[in-house]
Amino acid sequence: MLKRRSSSQWIILAALICLIISVPSSAAPKKRAAPKTPPLNLPPLKTQEQKMQLLGYIRQTMPTRRIAQRINFSSADLDQALEQELGPAAQTLAQTIDDETFIRRVSLDLTGQLPAPEKIEDFIKDQSRGKRSDLIDELLESPAYGRKWARYWTSVIFYESEANRRRVDPQALEDWLAEQFNKGAPWDYITVMLISATPERNKAVRNDYGQDFGPNNFVLACENKSTELASQTARIFMGISIKCAECHDHPFDNWKREQFHELAAFFHPYTYKMPDQTDPKIQTVVQPRFLLGEKPHEKMKADARRVSIAAYLAYNPKNYWFARAYVNRIWSELIGDGFYDVDSLGPDSEVIHKPVVNRIAANFRYKDFDPKWVFRLIMNSKVYQREMRTSNSAAELFTAVRPSRLRPDVIANSVENLIGEDQSIRKEIMQAFDMNPSLPQDALEGSIQQALLLMNNQELQTRLSQSELKQQLIKISSDTELVDSLYLNVLARHATPSERERNLSYLRDSEKREEAVDDLLWVLLNSTEFRTKR
Amino acid sequence: MQTDAILHLNLNRRGGLSRRNFLQSAALGIGGSSLLSQFRLHAEDLKKEGRSCILLWLAGAPSQMETWDPKPGTPNGGETKKIQTQSPGVEIAHYWPKIAAAMNEIAVIRAMTGKEAAHERGTYHLHTGHRMLGIEKFPHFGSVVARELGDPQSDIPNFVSIGQTLSSGFLGVQVAPFIIDRPGLLPDNVVNSTSNLRQRRRLALLSQQESEFAKAGATELVKEQSELYQKANLMMTSPRLKAFQFDDEPAVMQEAYGKSQTGQGLLVARRLVEAEVPFVEVRSTGWDMHSSVFSSMARRAPEVDQGLSQLLLDLKQRGLLEKTLVLCMGEFGRTPKINARGPAPGRDHWVRNFNLLMAGAGIKGGQVIGKTDENGQEIIEDPVQVDDLFQSMCKAMHMDADMELHTPVGRPVRLVDGGAVIKGLFG
Repeated sequence: MLKRRSSSQWIILAALICLIISVPSSAAPKKRAAPKTPPLNLPPLKTQEQKMQLLGYIRQTMPTRRIAQRINFSSADLDQALEQELGPAAQTLAQTIDDETFIRRVSLDLTGQLPAPEKIEDFIKDQSRGKRSDLIDELLESPAYGRKWARYWTSVIFYESEANRRRVDPQALEDWLAEQFNKGAPWDYITVMLISATPERNKAVRNDYGQDFGPNNFVLACENKSTELASQTARIFMGISIKCAECHDHPFDNWKREQFHELAAFFHPYTYKMPDQTDPKIQTVVQPRFLLGEKPHEKMKADARRVSIAAYLAYNPKNYWFARAYVNRIWSELIGDGFYDVDSLGPDSEVIHKPVVNRIAANFRYKDFDPKWVFRLIMNSKVYQREMRTSNSAAELFTAVRPSRLRPDVIANSVENLIGEDQSIRKEIMQAFDMNPSLPQDALEGSIQQALLLMNNQELQTRLSQSELKQQLIKISSDTELVDSLYLNVLARHATPSERERNLSYLRDSEKREEAVDDLLWVLLNSTEFRTKR
Repeated sequence: MQTDAILHLNLNRRGGLSRRNFLQSAALGIGGSSLLSQFRLHAEDLKKEGRSCILLWLAGAPSQMETWDPKPGTPNGGETKKIQTQSPGVEIAHYWPKIAAAMNEIAVIRAMTGKEAAHERGTYHLHTGHRMLGIEKFPHFGSVVARELGDPQSDIPNFVSIGQTLSSGFLGVQVAPFIIDRPGLLPDNVVNSTSNLRQRRRLALLSQQESEFAKAGATELVKEQSELYQKANLMMTSPRLKAFQFDDEPAVMQEAYGKSQTGQGLLVARRLVEAEVPFVEVRSTGWDMHSSVFSSMARRAPEVDQGLSQLLLDLKQRGLLEKTLVLCMGEFGRTPKINARGPAPGRDHWVRNFNLLMAGAGIKGGQVIGKTDENGQEIIEDPVQVDDLFQSMCKAMHMDADMELHTPVGRPVRLVDGGAVIKGLFG
């Protein structure tokens, strides 16, 4: 926070507050000739620091801040609110998971990595009451947490991007996001940095579009196109699908074609023209306007206009979509089903158990958009800690956790956990298990290529057979201990009695013990459980 | 049979997945309505006919004026000249001499008109027959063909794509495209060096491991994975795998298709069709010519010119053309007006009129359907909508365009929403 505020800064502050708070009031009964708008004397907003400073002022004026101290919404409150919503379906709630399922689930979710065998044993032995909650806190502080979620969001931003690869740097974005998540940067800050970025091309250097600076890459992924920026901003940061409104009024929602183009105009450096629906040669000038009707100051330059979209997006208290989109994404990832499909929300009525998600979202805002708060809230709840079950009817949603496919980078981590680091296998896995991070779990599919890769890939088989893990396993003289260690290392849990029995008889029936161990490793590597969050 | 082990899934009541259920659902693709059983009988007949479709997809949307509808000597015509083809009166752009020499087999549709001028949306529309509205994921036409005409127990996939393509949408993994990137080689990882006996033991243990996980609450995922492993296993030992590989293909033939990715892809397509794969897509990229359209066209056209003309010739000589529908198209057209981009002008997106080629499967070759005005701005005769195209594709494949598909929530949707078979297309 700045100690001294010059008068010009106060003027900016006042101007921006007016921009934010004023929602279009119905026009005065008689239209008078509009007085000429005085020019807006904003200081340059070229650097990210200058932009963030301005946004910092706006943030402080958020009305929610004042009530935040008095509000509390705990995991128990969440459970209660949801059970109330579930009604009769609350009779069919799945059981709470045991400790070893919990530590695997929470480790995969927060760090993208399986817990080590010793860690599992320690956790099971631990008698303290708050150990689950402590583990969540501990993992949230590990560097792997930031990395896992940075990968997720980078994939969300880049998955459908058609930008020229030389003009973007997804890795720079991922690194920047990892740093932000690890240091607990608020979601509004992260979003605002992404939306208000104005990457500039450095013509003196070949292929330099400013992509080295991480936050520039959202705009670059959208190829700096106004229409793309409009639809991606709405999709990723508001969870609403307005893309079809580019060409026609949304078939079943409120978003009109004009609104889409008004939002696009916001991102345009100059005068934006909307092409006619039937004859694209006819174009009409459209004034920038945010989705809830907010208009920027007429004389605002392109840079300041981007800052103001970011402000309308994050700080207009009426824009509940912003907080809810984040909450719904994290919920979908953790529970396996969302309150709605993460980026294709049509009319608001499609939201299931809306009061619950809206309450979490409102509280997320009160908590200053702290991403870790959302993880703590959900993961400490009973909802998250339930056994898995596939429910395909809306009524049963959230009575259990959906068994979810692990993301390609997480599968690659699990494989490297067995064979050690291997860039070429990682690359093959990333390709074969590639998936759109914005699709709901029930829309995802496996492929024959995935099966073939894990079954037959020669390098993978060789590395597995020569791995340290296997060497350790064959040194264990007791078959029972061998099987236990196998399950702990590959699936991060103990074998069940029937599994133990089966594997023991397999070992007994095999002529060569070493080959049999290869087989057992192969079986677990190829099991559905290996690539699933249970 | 190795796959017996993986098929041997016996779950208890709670798991709800018995071997019998599994085989049934695998055979049907989707759950059973009474209509489906009648449908299946019909489908059996269809399968015997051995119809196939090869889609050559020109990704990026090729210019209609530089392909099959040149307008030399007009303000919009640019540098492109026209040439006479084998079929009197049919003239195409000069970049395509070999296609011109095969024109007797080809119907040129010059008056396509679409609705989507963005790549992703146009690709979706022209692959599924549906526009990208709402959240329903419609299947690739190839997946519908694979379901209707393919053998569910087939030892190689019923839909192969050389290059990335759309998914099977709500039809699921049974009819998903099997994608390969390098034509002429065996797909990655199909070779297993483990002995048969050992592999059988492994699979038996795996299936027990799987059934336990299914019982723990992951029935759907295990079911899907078992289907995939079953298919993967069948494929690994399939004698038809050699269709992917050129070992027994004379070098002369490989030369004839051209050594390009597209040419070799088309040769694989012919081999797969010979091996009774009902749908093959071959992707050719680089057709998004916003700038330098004339030089780019001259550079890109020869590969397709050679590969596609050779494919038609080859299919004809083998007696396969009458049962094989060949389509060559992209997602939309390009602005008749030449833009002012550097370093050399090109053409931008345009969806009001564009063109495509159709051949085989009863289609009358050597003809042009539809006409645009002198400047290539407007359609002046016989416009063809995407629905009409899909009606015609269905007719060529002897499939019912009015058939209902069912989304996962059971909502019935028609394969094609409307339109009519293109007049005069079939002889």
